[in-house]
Amino acid sequence: MGWVFMVVCVLCRPVPVTAGQRLEQKNVVYGGSSWLGHYPVWVGIKNGVFQQKGLEVQFQQFHASSGRMGSLVGDHLDFASTGSISAIALMAAGVKRFSIIGTQDSYATVEGIIAREGIPSVKALKGKKLAVTFASSAHVLVLDVLKTEGLDPKRDIHLINLKVSEMPAAFKSGEVDACAAWTPVFNRLLAMKRAHLLLNDTQFSLFKEFGLGPGPDVLVVRNAFARKCPNTTRAFIEGYFQSVSELKDQPEACARVLTGLTRLDLKDQVNVLKDITWYPLDAQSRLMVNPGSFVAGLQKLADFLFEKGQIDRSPRVRKWIDPNLLPGG
Amino acid sequence: MKSASERKTWQIFVSIGSFFAVILLWEVVCRMGLIEPIFLPAPSQVLTRAIRMIEQGAFFEHILASGRRVMVGFLLAGFLAIPFGIFLGTSPFFKAVFDPIISLLRPLPSMSWIPLSLLWLGITETQKYSIVFMGSFAPSLLYVIEATRNVDPVLIRAAQNLGAGRKDLIKEVILPAALPQIIAGLKVMLGIAWTCVIAAELVAARNGLGFMIMNGKEYFQTDTVLLGMLLISLTVMGIDGIFRIFERRVLPWIP
Repeated sequence: MGWVFMVVCVLCRPVPVTAGQRLEQKNVVYGGSSWLGHYPVWVGIKNGVFQQKGLEVQFQQFHASSGRMGSLVGDHLDFASTGSISAIALMAAGVKRFSIIGTQDSYATVEGIIAREGIPSVKALKGKKLAVTFASSAHVLVLDVLKTEGLDPKRDIHLINLKVSEMPAAFKSGEVDACAAWTPVFNRLLAMKRAHLLLNDTQFSLFKEFGLGPGPDVLVVRNAFARKCPNTTRAFIEGYFQSVSELKDQPEACARVLTGLTRLDLKDQVNVLKDITWYPLDAQSRLMVNPGSFVAGLQKLADFLFEKGQIDRSPRVRKWIDPNLLPGG
Repeated sequence: MKSASERKTWQIFVSIGSFFAVILLWEVVCRMGLIEPIFLPAPSQVLTRAIRMIEQGAFFEHILASGRRVMVGFLLAGFLAIPFGIFLGTSPFFKAVFDPIISLLRPLPSMSWIPLSLLWLGITETQKYSIVFMGSFAPSLLYVIEATRNVDPVLIRAAQNLGAGRKDLIKEVILPAALPQIIAGLKVMLGIAWTCVIAAELVAARNGLGFMIMNGKEYFQTDTVLLGMLLISLTVMGIDGIFRIFERRVLPWIP
């Protein structure tokens, strides 16, 4: 009977869809969190998309992009999605161990500043306490809008460095007057009494110019892994963007799967999905091209971070962008 | 045969030599490119970072912010722990009463106090002082109790036979005898208080060495992280030196 079992196992095993290409490695480790940039991998795992490609994807949770990217360059992860600030910070540190291979989404309306009533504008934040996670995209947004309004972030406003998960409690207890947050905490804050949206990412100067948020999501790969396992890399990317298409075409069905990751109500989850613009595989070659608005926007973001003293030098970001790894690239 | 002073001078030279040898080796290894700067920056890179931060004015701001938090929390813990510890060390009944509470508090890491301190004190400096205080108080108290209980009972009995009351006994016998051990314990606790301040600066801080290390981590500035660590060590060493001067003045009979 043993041989029958073996034959059944062989027949039932997932077959890589990349025809004629043998996967060098079946297991892939991905660094994620509950942020929307990681939805494609979560959906891909739960809906069996990666399995169909012959891949076993392990979703490793991280609280911060820095931890995720640190693990990637430390050879503990193969792929990750990250807010581009962490990626730019690594570029500024001269790390060449990873490449940006795509950008999966634009999320301009699910990150922003939420204030309590009586604060109708950014100018009215003067002298008030604003909670923001330092070194995050929300921090960049805050620095940008304060600059636009002529406010000094050190003198005119009390910036409180707070983890995004701790903001609802601080806001509720009156410890802070406003919070710069992103989804899903953004949605929770908005739902609180006497809270209102002061502004979102669409007010970011680079969004007005390039359509870019303060820390656009990017998909990155560890270079050593991509070199060692090119077929596995392509299979993962195919599965990844297949999931992006599912998120775009079947938001309601995907929302049900995603609530397990984000703990949002189904209704809120559907609303979040509707606020996202997904960039499918065929859009990547247009976005990743240099010169192009995405690459130019990322460069401007790097220049902005340098100008604000957040990083030591402004790296040439195009050196880290490698669309050749994309299927058909 | 070398004299004691010659041996001491020789030891100092060896220590300085080994320190610079390690720094030199570290610099050479980094310059040869054997280790990427993101994993271990060269000492010269750390020095450059320090100079840059001094120029920006952030260097001393971070040291002073953390130093203030440590001093307030630690001194408060010490000032309360010394009399309370002596009281508990000389009263078996009250020690029995408080022992379970102290035993419960002692193993709690300072990090574990963050959620409650945030609820009780909010995002304030007091909350940061409280983290240092809670991390230092119970262990300091135990040091003082132990030091008090280790005083030679013959000395206590002799003083009692000579008619010393409880107040005189504490002031003239127990405190002078226990002070060396209390100070030794407080020195250990000072190091622990510096680990507490790192925990305190994880939440809602915009300055301090803990903030500097964590912010450096966020931007992958490993030189900033190393500089922060180095500054903590140097600051603790400096305060330890001040403690020794204090010790020599207050306890001149201790070699």
